[in-house]
Amino acid sequence: MATVTGRRRPATWLRRHAVSYVMLLPFVALFAGFLVWPLANSLYLSFTNFDGVNPPRLTGLENFRRLFLDDERFRHALSNTATYVVATVVLGTLLSLGLALAFRGPSWPHRIMRTIFFLPSVTSTIAIMLIWKWIFDPNDFGLANTVIQWFGHSKPVAWLATPGLSVPILVLMAVWGGMGYGMVIFVAGLNSIPEEYYEAARIDGASAWQQFRRITLPLLRPVTTYVVVTSLIGAFQIFEAVYIVFRTNANTIGGVLDSGLMIVPYLYDIGFTHFQLGYASAIAWVLFVIIFAISLVNLRIGRAFKEL
Amino acid sequence: MRRTLTAACIALLSVLGAGCATSGTSQTKQAGTSGPANITYWSTGGDDDTRIFQKAADLYHQSHPSVTIKVQTLTWDDSYAKLLAASTSRTGPDVVSGGLTWMIQFGRRGGMVDLRKYGIESLKSQAHPQMWKSASSPDGSVYGVPLDMSTELLYYRTDLLDKAGITPPKTWDELTAAITKLKAAGVKKPFNIDWGNLDWIGYFNFLYQAGGSFYTPDCKPALNTPQAKQALNFWISLYRKYGAPTANITGENALDTGTAMTITGNWIGNTIQASKPKLKGKWAVTTLPAGPASPAAFIGGRSIGITSYSKHAAQSADFIKFLYTDQAINAMITVAKGRAVPYIPPRPDAVSRADFPPGEEAAVAQSLKTGMPAPGCPGWDEAAPNVAKQLQSAILGKTDATTALTQAAKIMQDNAA
Repeated sequence: MATVTGRRRPATWLRRHAVSYVMLLPFVALFAGFLVWPLANSLYLSFTNFDGVNPPRLTGLENFRRLFLDDERFRHALSNTATYVVATVVLGTLLSLGLALAFRGPSWPHRIMRTIFFLPSVTSTIAIMLIWKWIFDPNDFGLANTVIQWFGHSKPVAWLATPGLSVPILVLMAVWGGMGYGMVIFVAGLNSIPEEYYEAARIDGASAWQQFRRITLPLLRPVTTYVVVTSLIGAFQIFEAVYIVFRTNANTIGGVLDSGLMIVPYLYDIGFTHFQLGYASAIAWVLFVIIFAISLVNLRIGRAFKEL
Repeated sequence: MRRTLTAACIALLSVLGAGCATSGTSQTKQAGTSGPANITYWSTGGDDDTRIFQKAADLYHQSHPSVTIKVQTLTWDDSYAKLLAASTSRTGPDVVSGGLTWMIQFGRRGGMVDLRKYGIESLKSQAHPQMWKSASSPDGSVYGVPLDMSTELLYYRTDLLDKAGITPPKTWDELTAAITKLKAAGVKKPFNIDWGNLDWIGYFNFLYQAGGSFYTPDCKPALNTPQAKQALNFWISLYRKYGAPTANITGENALDTGTAMTITGNWIGNTIQASKPKLKGKWAVTTLPAGPASPAAFIGGRSIGITSYSKHAAQSADFIKFLYTDQAINAMITVAKGRAVPYIPPRPDAVSRADFPPGEEAAVAQSLKTGMPAPGCPGWDEAAPNVAKQLQSAILGKTDATTALTQAAKIMQDNAA
């Protein structure tokens, strides 16, 4: 009898769930066709010598061996990316929180300021990057050089041809473009903290700093974790800024001395200008593992703090 | 556990399935030559270039009503990647034009048709000999033929040179002396390099002028030579001792904002005429200053070829041959007149028909006579950006010329394999 009551008959099950599964089908088809399938393809290609034209040939772990042991450019891209990610995530999160604290209210001036800071998030990235390129252009219309001339610096700066400035410029562009998005998330988090906590703290004589440190920050932890993880993933995947701003001709990517080279542009360069799509797939999977591991650590840390 | 196993099995099956499905080369069945053919031609460049080549395509259609050719623009930035994507999927254009040596890189992987089987070698005697050599593979295959030409020249401000009491420099020594005199005369920006700034093209001029080359005739890297070192040291001195800016300042803007001399491509003459009225009567052009061995300058230009998946290879090859006829060249030159991009045909005997600003024609003709195009050796296009990084490290003082050249040669060797 247990089998009769414990298991529903197929006809009943079908009657109950068929519509739901049919409604899920379009999503499943798109998900499988445009995500699972390409992912599976790239995983397979990462173990081959695929050049984009000839059929791929399995090479085992050779791509990964070369990546970790022989590829100095990959290490350089990884180091640049690590510096960029740390700077972007730390500065971006702090500035987003600062903006959220400054413009969290329901008044019109606050709403207008939030809209202004959020604008880069809804503007075409390509358009923004082209504007940055013009800003740092060494020609007479370059805004950055014009501005420094106003302050008495007569010699123009080769902004995009000075290796030491490449990563800072990329960080500046990313933080400026991303802090509005973080701000909106933080504002939502801040406004969800009950006002009573602050009232009780004020009655107990807590200063503004103490309220921020003991109430706001701990209760913002889930939101902070979200902002940090999403900006971290986004920062690791930087591409357009390098591709558009630091590109000088058809086959060059990464700027002078590869000073602006990051992992995804490097992957693109290897795949699409060096015909090494198998190797590029291996880079993509290593990047995936790095992002996955760091996000996992981040989530664990967030959870650990919550349990304290 | 069961769910994990199921997920793992699905993933494994997907990967195996992907392996079975990934594309590869296969023979493309050719459509008959007598039937109608709609040919797609991807032209790397700007919209002006597309208009120029579309004019030739329309003319061809008039004499071959069954063949229709549609020219589409690919920008220089995206073209290489798009051509690779087309080769991978084996769908896309029949005819492509791009960098002079690109067709070799695609062709040696099976992405382009060897044009010899369509009798394209009949064009060889008409084309610029060095351009033809660069566009052809070292093994003799012809995956692309030269489509047009451009070259590097020295543009200068006549008023500023007069102010310093100098004439346009004709040698390396005269160039450095001119920069010194211009500085002494109060010219703050005496010299600029536009086309080839911090790039291998910039080095190319000095390398060949010193008597060196990137490769030996049998395509072995040839940068470990005294000539290569001499050229690099001279190029470095132009930046570090004589103050050429490392930032990319376009030639016309450099002249317009007070730079006395700039090395750049021959197209800026048209740009100055169209967009820099303040410079009217104040600029002139000459060939690059000669080095100790020769006055060689870089010759650029595009090549044109047919994809290996085209169903209309014979008609496409016939169209390419048509591009070398007087009728097509004259029509393209007519369309190019008045546009920012000049069209210089790949036939040296037809260069004088092109539309040049006053005084530019003689300099272009002389430069094309003694100049050299990019090396057509296997792996050069892949190696070139990284060779440029090594040259940059020497210019920016991160390493010395010898080390940079040794590293560059190693990169070229690795990519040739």
